[in-house]
Amino acid sequence: MAKLTLPPVELVRSGHSACPGCGPALAMRYLLKGTGERTVVSVPASCWTIIATGYPTTALRLPMIDTPIEATGASISGLRAALDALHMSDVQVVGFAGDGGTVDIGLQSLSGMLERRTDALYVMYDNEAYMNTGIQRSGSTPEGAWTTTTPVEGMARGKGEPKKDIMGIVLAHHPVYAATLNVAYPEDFLRKAQKAASLKGPRFFHVLAPCPPGWKFASDQTVQIGRLATDTGIFPLYEVENGKLRVTRKLGQLKPVRDYIKVQGRFGHLTDAEIDTVEHEVQASWAALLQREARP
Amino acid sequence: MIEIRFHGRGGQGAVIAAELLAQAANLDGKIPQSFAFYGAERRGAPVVSYARIDDRPIRLRTAITAPDIVVVLDPGLVEVAPVMDGLKPGGTLLVNSPLPPERFPTPKPAFVATLDATQIALSHGVGSRTMPIVNTTMLGALSRVSSVVSLSAVQHAIDEHVPARPAENGLAAIEGFHTVRVAELPGLPGGKAPSGPVAPALSSEVPEGPIASMASDVLHTSSWRTLQPVITREKCTRCNFCWKFCPDNAIDLDSEGFPVVRNEHCKGCGLCAVECPPVAIEMVVEGGA
Amino acid sequence: MTRLVLSGNYAQSYAARLARVQVISAYPITPQTTIVEQLAKFVSSGELPAQFIKVESEHSALQVCVSAAALGARTYTATSSQGLLLMHELLHWASGMRTPIVMGVVSRSVGPPWSLDADHTDTMSQRDTGWVQIYPESNQEVLDSVLEAFRLAEDLAIRLPVMVAEDAFYLSHTVEPVEVPSQAQVDAFLPPRVPKGTLVPGKATRLGSYVGPADYVRFRREQARAMERVPETLAAIEEDYGRRMGRTYGGLVQEYRTEGADAVLLTMGTASTTARAVVDELRSEGKRVGLARIRVFRPFPAKEVRDLASRVDRLGVMDRSWTFGQMGSAATEVAAAIQSSPRRPRLSSFLAGVGGRDVGTALLREMFRDLLSKEPSGLRWLDMDPPKEVPLHG
Repeated sequence: MAKLTLPPVELVRSGHSACPGCGPALAMRYLLKGTGERTVVSVPASCWTIIATGYPTTALRLPMIDTPIEATGASISGLRAALDALHMSDVQVVGFAGDGGTVDIGLQSLSGMLERRTDALYVMYDNEAYMNTGIQRSGSTPEGAWTTTTPVEGMARGKGEPKKDIMGIVLAHHPVYAATLNVAYPEDFLRKAQKAASLKGPRFFHVLAPCPPGWKFASDQTVQIGRLATDTGIFPLYEVENGKLRVTRKLGQLKPVRDYIKVQGRFGHLTDAEIDTVEHEVQASWAALLQREARP
Repeated sequence: MIEIRFHGRGGQGAVIAAELLAQAANLDGKIPQSFAFYGAERRGAPVVSYARIDDRPIRLRTAITAPDIVVVLDPGLVEVAPVMDGLKPGGTLLVNSPLPPERFPTPKPAFVATLDATQIALSHGVGSRTMPIVNTTMLGALSRVSSVVSLSAVQHAIDEHVPARPAENGLAAIEGFHTVRVAELPGLPGGKAPSGPVAPALSSEVPEGPIASMASDVLHTSSWRTLQPVITREKCTRCNFCWKFCPDNAIDLDSEGFPVVRNEHCKGCGLCAVECPPVAIEMVVEGGA
Repeated sequence: MTRLVLSGNYAQSYAARLARVQVISAYPITPQTTIVEQLAKFVSSGELPAQFIKVESEHSALQVCVSAAALGARTYTATSSQGLLLMHELLHWASGMRTPIVMGVVSRSVGPPWSLDADHTDTMSQRDTGWVQIYPESNQEVLDSVLEAFRLAEDLAIRLPVMVAEDAFYLSHTVEPVEVPSQAQVDAFLPPRVPKGTLVPGKATRLGSYVGPADYVRFRREQARAMERVPETLAAIEEDYGRRMGRTYGGLVQEYRTEGADAVLLTMGTASTTARAVVDELRSEGKRVGLARIRVFRPFPAKEVRDLASRVDRLGVMDRSWTFGQMGSAATEVAAAIQSSPRRPRLSSFLAGVGGRDVGTALLREMFRDLLSKEPSGLRWLDMDPPKEVPLHG
């Protein structure tokens, strides 16, 4: 019998309302295994509002507060303040927000929380569009992706603009710890969650959380596609602690991005030439990442 | 006025079915209305949608509680959703199922119709095995078993309003029209439907305010499933990958480290089967059909 | 008890300190700033051991308070005008989550055009957000109301947020003597908050779930019932406060010389003080007039207004904000309240003091003259002449 690579404690209960094969459901499960039972979670309007199930049930074994979509940064500052005031400083504070609630409408609140040096972990679970409202583009939707508001019709080729660089924005605030995580790599995920939980000050996770209905792939492919995102260099896994960057999943030869793009309906319209362009961009950003890592 | 309720699963096209029926009825020169209340439905979860068809303007903007016709897009829903609720005596129940109509006894006397719409849709390349799109096939059948809409109007509505594969959908509708079987059933003794799942009981007062604390595992999400995993113990290496990657925490490890699927919570996503290194898990159609 | 000469804003800060608030969060806006500046001093000096979260917007300020209160902390914030409007979404969250937040509001006009002066458009536009609204008329009453507000908000039968709205400049930047109770007196009046319906670390507790229609309406009914309990609960709190501190404010509606009156004017906030003086003048001239001040606007004191209406023939309402297509904001609610009164007085609505226009004795005399005239005007925008009074500030 193989040893468990994740703690057996389950702080997410069954019976939740995530779609079959949901990436964000895995993200919460792994995250809480790392931060532990003494965690309070703040969730803005997002898929997890629904996943956590309607009153009177709840899918978390922990306290969870709902907030409007743009308020996660402020909410976790408030939770931290109350816990400190009430002498419960041991309790971890986690904000768990979607990509739209972070890079678009919640950006101000996130920036405020980072700048205030709130002792909390902000987790952005990135399924790369407004999925809870039915697949509308967000600032975090990748270029070329089909969504209901970036249709592939006539001359339109899906989203026309590149994905917003949230890690760049966050790192400009100099958090004590920031990392990219992927539900397809649970052991790396867990290590980062445990590490974040051991630190004080503002911390940030950018979690790739594939979405079967939104990306248009079968519900059993979530982990396969997640792995390809990292192994093609599209979503590299790294961490930045005190300004020092370290790639946590080293890659020799990158897999062709074609392998990742071709298995998702949202990219079904992309031509070989368009995929080649993505390939070049990914190669360049991967090289830049390695250069940054090499910097003293 | 004829009132119709559709039962389907999130992502299966129940809302589109009601809208398409409205478009078709309009082409027949009737006055339609179709609607749905949604917001929290997830792919695979039971959902409902509604339609009203009349010769005169419809003067109701309310829910349908006593439908003349109930259309069930997924055979598994008969067991898990209250599909027969309120069906009028003498009304029609149309179920996507390979089974004969007699297998779906209604509480009150009714016409029951069945067809294997999943098979028909797949044979025309409409939808996939895990998510067959049966709404057009079912509308073809509906035009046969009731006077609410004509087959030609259904075909025209498909041509105009179905963006993907309209020709295939049209052929599926025609095959649905020709294959559906109907039986007149006498109703069940006592006139009671088999009881469906019961929602968690709430207290009549909420003195604590909006604090939710009941465990969500009272909710049995197995009703979302069309496929279920079957583990071959002999092939299992106890690597626990299936446990690790289950988004629903629906796999427990027994004392020897073998995985056991918690049936009431598995949504049948199939991740465990794909991630299983020794290929010890197979996804089979729910109910073993 | 110490007598200090304080501004209305400082009265807010002193009250928050005496209430031993645990979490403060605010964003600066004129004319609220001195409230939070003074609180920052109290916190920095150690006089007030609270967490003061300085945020990047009012929206975040109230979210900080909501989340902190959801864990059981005693929280305070303050804002004004545009800031209150930016909080609008969170105002509903605070009341829907039944968080007992107390907020100081410096009532100010709303742009455009830009204006910094006294007006009730900001608070009136938030009247249906589920907050209790108290409108004091003196700096003393500001301090006393903030203390009462914490007791009321945290009462287990209520658990609703409360705003204490003071008129911009007329209170916020006016200094006058204020009796400041001792910490021991306040501690005896206001014990630590007893958490109920809060998040509990280590326990499955979710606050703010989505619900179906059947549950939604039950939560709203519970909230409405809590609001209906406010008059009785506040009366008991005021009685206790009066016993300890020697001051009370007459419940939801405070009447002055209404006995045998032919006409009564209803006012809110600082106009009430001047109006009381005008009533005395007119009474000495033999005119039978009286004053009623709406101290608590939410819940609306319908019972008190109906009772007043049954005793007078002419009722006027002075408003610093209005309802488009109707009349003054408070006047529309007074009209609704007296609709079911057995005896309905003739109602007049006076718009005055809008955007900081000064409400002087002449203006108030004009309102009474109109009310007592053979044919009252019904709806009047008063004081529409070009400015001639000396501005109160800058």
